[in-house]
Amino acid sequence: MIEAIGLTKRYGSTTALDHATFTVAPGQVTGFLGPNGAGKSTTMRMVVGLDRPTAGTVTVNGKPYAEHAAPLHEVGVLLDAKAVHRGRSARSHLRALAATHGIGRARVEEVIDLTGLGSVANKRVGGFSLGMGQRLGVAAALLGDPQTLILDEPVNGLDPEGVLWIRTLVRYLAAQGRTVFLSSHLMSEMAQTADHIIVLGRGRVIADAPVSEILRRAAGSMVRVRTPDAAALAEALRAPDVEVASVESGLLEVTGTTAPAIGEAAARAGVVLHELTPLTGSLEDAYLQLTADDVEYHSGGLPGPAVNGVPAHAAPAPMEGAAR
Amino acid sequence: MTAATLDPSGSVAAVPGRSAARPVRGLTFPGVLRSEWIKTWSLRSTVWSLGIAIVLMTGTTALVAWGGSTDPVAGELSAAELIGPGGYFAQLVLAVLGVLTITGEYSTGQIRSTVVAVPRRIPALAAKAIVLAVVAALTTLVGVVTATIAGMPFHDGLGVTLDLSDGETLRLLGGMPLYVAGIALLGFAIGALVRSSPGALGIVLGLLLVVEQVVAAIPLAFFDRLEPLLPSNAGSRLVMTQANVDALNAASVGVDLGPWQGFGVLLTWVAVLLVLAAVLLRRRDA
Repeated sequence: MIEAIGLTKRYGSTTALDHATFTVAPGQVTGFLGPNGAGKSTTMRMVVGLDRPTAGTVTVNGKPYAEHAAPLHEVGVLLDAKAVHRGRSARSHLRALAATHGIGRARVEEVIDLTGLGSVANKRVGGFSLGMGQRLGVAAALLGDPQTLILDEPVNGLDPEGVLWIRTLVRYLAAQGRTVFLSSHLMSEMAQTADHIIVLGRGRVIADAPVSEILRRAAGSMVRVRTPDAAALAEALRAPDVEVASVESGLLEVTGTTAPAIGEAAARAGVVLHELTPLTGSLEDAYLQLTADDVEYHSGGLPGPAVNGVPAHAAPAPMEGAAR
Repeated sequence: MTAATLDPSGSVAAVPGRSAARPVRGLTFPGVLRSEWIKTWSLRSTVWSLGIAIVLMTGTTALVAWGGSTDPVAGELSAAELIGPGGYFAQLVLAVLGVLTITGEYSTGQIRSTVVAVPRRIPALAAKAIVLAVVAALTTLVGVVTATIAGMPFHDGLGVTLDLSDGETLRLLGGMPLYVAGIALLGFAIGALVRSSPGALGIVLGLLLVVEQVVAAIPLAFFDRLEPLLPSNAGSRLVMTQANVDALNAASVGVDLGPWQGFGVLLTWVAVLLVLAAVLLRRRDA
């Protein structure tokens, strides 16, 4: 359980985090999402006391991180893959961390096996690939068998197998009742792993909701209807908040009502339907919509998909994963 | 989501639940000390530089003794004084090691792992300082022994004898590990304040090699008074014969310091800088 209240961080005149208030609950994977520079890493660093907040408080499992008697048993954190001396071997790094809490060698070997580092554990970290570095970071996070895990961009630099491994791992950890707080700037990654999403834009929390809710918010819900008698159906659906758009001859997109309601209305009016498809906005669309005004660095010129609030097109729900 | 049943490596199930067999001892200072001890010996660069310090001490002492024994006009040296020049090199190596012990953590990002494991931070700084002091003193002690042995074949030629029952000989030999440990801690404290390897190395080596030597040459009374109080000028009195200390005091307009008083001044520098470093460590973002 992580609780942030009014958490604020300023660097000079730059506000990295602006009165962020949120709770990360146990037993689920909470995605922490936002464009680069939105303040995700800053927030996570403040949770474990690396940075001190300008204002506000953040507690983990009921206390500020530094006040726990055994911090590594409370929180495991992967901040970035480079928090390791390059000249030390992975095994020595883990043993040194473990020693602070009296964690034995057996556990060190356990996390080495678990993260698949066995073959390189005695090699110096300086020669590690980004992916290996991430695995070592995850190993360090798991060392204390903590109740809460904070992973900043864990799939960064991992190969497809590694991405799948992280996903499986975080879901498994959450299923054990642990708190898993995972950041990414990739919505698609979140769609695969998270139950709940907190979206950050320019240091402010702009959404904090279950994934399904975020999806529902995306572009409302739209239903695609194909019928040879479009005019009659449009007439039958007429209601104050229902909007019917004719995309092409015989194809309508209806917002403001549901697929069953349209089906029933069509049956009552005796209109034949050839297709009736509820369209859910993709998480990606929802994300772009939410953060459209809050991106720190806008790329200019290139025609991109739907940056302006309205998604280019709502796509059916399951989306392409990050594992390609 | 089917992820929980996916098991690409066959190892996810091995994430143990809270195993009752594993006692949770929590964060303790002896644990932090052990951690820093492991860190020290798991860096090849550290092991190398300690070895180099010992070789330099031994080799330099042998050269000095050999040179003295073949040059009848060389000044009189006691057996214990022979290790002085070697100790000078050892202090430089250990001062550099002291700096890198802490700045290396900042340059590599290791400091974040350290601070996450020891979020109150000060125990980590203290443990580092203690381990460094012990390692520096032990290394120098080994160097003193090997250097003394290396000088022995030349004792006859020099016309000196090693008398371990002599108080001054014991102070010169036994003081060297203490002095070098003090200088290593000075480097460490400056490294902790500056946090950048090049910056801190520049300050420490500049201080030891240049500033302390030339300060007396500045024709202002203030610098003349300051000169004996500089860390190494004061501390190195511990590894000088009483005759040399007296000569220094006579030549200086500043305060007169005995060997142990001088060492006390060095330790005061170290203590003040370490306290400052501790305060900043608590206040700065890691």
